[in-house]
Amino acid sequence: MDVYLPILRDIWRSPTGRIGLVLVILILLFAILGPVFSVAPNKIAVQDRFQGPSLQHLLGTDNLGRDLFSRTAQGTRAALAISLIVVALSLLIGAIIGVAAGMAGGWIDRGVIVLFDIISAYPAVILAMGLIALYGVGFTNLLLVVTLLFIPQFGRMARAQTLSLRHQPFIDAERVLGLPMAKLVWRHFLPNVLGPLIVLASMNVPVVITIEAGLSFIGLGVQPPQASLGSLIRDGYVFLNQSWWPTIGSAITLALATLGSTLFGEALRDAADPKLRGRHK
Amino acid sequence: MATDFSRRTLMQAAAALPLLGMASQIAFGAEGEVIARIETDLKNLDPANRVGSIEDNILQATTQTLARFKPNSLEWEPDAAKTISQVSETEIDFELNPGQMFSDGYGELTADDVKFSLERFLPDAQGNKPAYADDWGALDYVEVTGKYTGKIILKNPAPALWVIGICDSSGTILSKKATTELGGKISTKVVGSGPYVLKEWKPNEHVILEANPDYKGNAPAQLKRIILKPISEWQTALLAFQAKEVTFTEVEPTAVTEVEQDPNSAVIKIDGIDYEWIGVNVEKAPLDDSKVRQAIRYGIDVDAIIAGAWSGTVSRAKTLLAPQLLGHWADAPVYQYDPEKAKALLAEAGVSDLKVTLTCLNDARTQAEAQIVQANLAEAGVTVTINALDGGAYWGMGEGDKSKDLELTIIPYSSKFDPSFQTQWFVSSQVGVWNWQRWKNAEFDKLHSEAASITDEDERARKYVRMQQLLDESASCIWITHGVHNFAHAKSVTPALLPNGVNWQLRYFKSA
Repeated sequence: MDVYLPILRDIWRSPTGRIGLVLVILILLFAILGPVFSVAPNKIAVQDRFQGPSLQHLLGTDNLGRDLFSRTAQGTRAALAISLIVVALSLLIGAIIGVAAGMAGGWIDRGVIVLFDIISAYPAVILAMGLIALYGVGFTNLLLVVTLLFIPQFGRMARAQTLSLRHQPFIDAERVLGLPMAKLVWRHFLPNVLGPLIVLASMNVPVVITIEAGLSFIGLGVQPPQASLGSLIRDGYVFLNQSWWPTIGSAITLALATLGSTLFGEALRDAADPKLRGRHK
Repeated sequence: MATDFSRRTLMQAAAALPLLGMASQIAFGAEGEVIARIETDLKNLDPANRVGSIEDNILQATTQTLARFKPNSLEWEPDAAKTISQVSETEIDFELNPGQMFSDGYGELTADDVKFSLERFLPDAQGNKPAYADDWGALDYVEVTGKYTGKIILKNPAPALWVIGICDSSGTILSKKATTELGGKISTKVVGSGPYVLKEWKPNEHVILEANPDYKGNAPAQLKRIILKPISEWQTALLAFQAKEVTFTEVEPTAVTEVEQDPNSAVIKIDGIDYEWIGVNVEKAPLDDSKVRQAIRYGIDVDAIIAGAWSGTVSRAKTLLAPQLLGHWADAPVYQYDPEKAKALLAEAGVSDLKVTLTCLNDARTQAEAQIVQANLAEAGVTVTINALDGGAYWGMGEGDKSKDLELTIIPYSSKFDPSFQTQWFVSSQVGVWNWQRWKNAEFDKLHSEAASITDEDERARKYVRMQQLLDESASCIWITHGVHNFAHAKSVTPALLPNGVNWQLRYFKSA
């Protein structure tokens, strides 16, 4: 707690960090508590289509008469769930591969770097579209594909941190004292690698949210009847000449979610960097 | 040479961008040019194996037929033929105009080319037939009697032949030499003698037709160029029209009022004779049980689909043939949504916890339809998974029996003016091609053949009604709508459309 409190304090002292933190909390609350205060998000009531905001439907209804407040909350929850799972998985897998490559060196290290280069060489969305077209749409495939896209970023950072630590005097000392490799990694490498990776993870959350929304917008992400911010914007766009409410709620939520997590991520990065820490005092 | 990118340079460049955009818009609106939006890219320009109306429209502009439809009408007049006449129920004689030249230096159009083009629709030595073989199902052979003269000999009378064979894309006259040389490339290249030539096709970008300078027929191109741009989304098409990026497009019925508010735009409305339905694969268990199919029919609220996905702008279809067509079954039953009856039928069939996949196109309206079906059937205890595909993957299921794993499918087909064109997709020989219900019925097949070869209209109508009754008994088709077509066009353009709204007569498009 002694480590995290100053970081949180620094984030709060930064005006943009404060906005980011508040937005992230609000978006989280909306995603978690939204369904509690609304009706079933997938319930179709054609007779109620394209209603404007009212006490019954706070954000109006869509082309099938579904409550947009509930669907936007459902879409936000999907965006956050996917982004957090993707970031956590790619952090974990990237860290393991990166540390292993850095420790092993030689052809294993070079092979891993080549693999990362191959994945990174393709534009993220294009690669995701290709893989999803190949393996089919669906929540699991979406998670796996987007995770695959982000592993190289975490892997490279973990490898770089490992390489810089590998020849530090205290590591050499531990080796000479006979500390097993597994314990060496657990005690010294992972803790030192984890900090920068968490900062990178926070920076990647809005990117994943955007990719998920983009894939859902073109029909390759979350599948109906489940809502996604991307599919809500798409449906709203298609029926724009009949009602603009379906687009408004989802577009603003997506903008706030990405803005909030970007500002929060940047503030976290600044706060976690010892050179920058405390500059907002 | 050093380049100094100052902030001012960047600002100037940024300011110039909209001007570039305006310049491109000015180019789009060039004199003697029409830019039409097409819903999907073209796929196969082989007249005997074409996929849909987009290919039809291109073929009709770039090639000739013996006779062609007059503008906006089902009346016909000679095209490549100088004279053409039905001398008996099974013989049509023709004489071609001399000097009509194929593009790309493939020489003059002769009676040999007519024979080659029409006999391509006959089964080959192995009995394989092209997709549109039924359009010329009555053809026995073509006899060439001179360089420009010949006889079309039929096996039996064919009342629909003029409408769906001779004047339509199935009557396209190809260059025998070019088609033989091109082989499989015929699916993407047209060597024709029509008023336009296919100048360029950039997949998913545009198709450019240019006036054919060598055209010798009596209906020359009215425009210098026609550009066809694939835009799948209706809303994008509407926005492109409003931005003057396209000057002709079909629009959603709900957009008509908005288009009409623009003083420079006009709308043409044509009641559809098409048919959209939910096909049920009768070979796939447990859908092979008629009771399960009936349960699904009662479990789908077609009225809600019309209201929710079509915004109530179309009427509900209750059978295959639209009211405007010969053989429409006026007394066809209308199945009202009844989830309790659906549940009872499923219980009777001993089926519980039914899970099915609903395959459909991935455009917004079809996905809305699919979600209504999903919600409806959930009420009857049926779990539906939606499999939305883009146009390429979806229509690709018509090849190589890819459709055998389908369960429920939302299918939109376009129509022609003779009922035989519609019924041909439901015959047994279309299983593995376009009969995605995989329903086979010997009586239906027999009636289809008979109805296509008799001239007594009342008798034909009775046979088509009976065929629709058989389809109804099979519970393999849940009819949704015959649709409606609304075309937005700039007032500077005068389009020409056949009364089905699907076939655009690009050759008659002109500047107002």
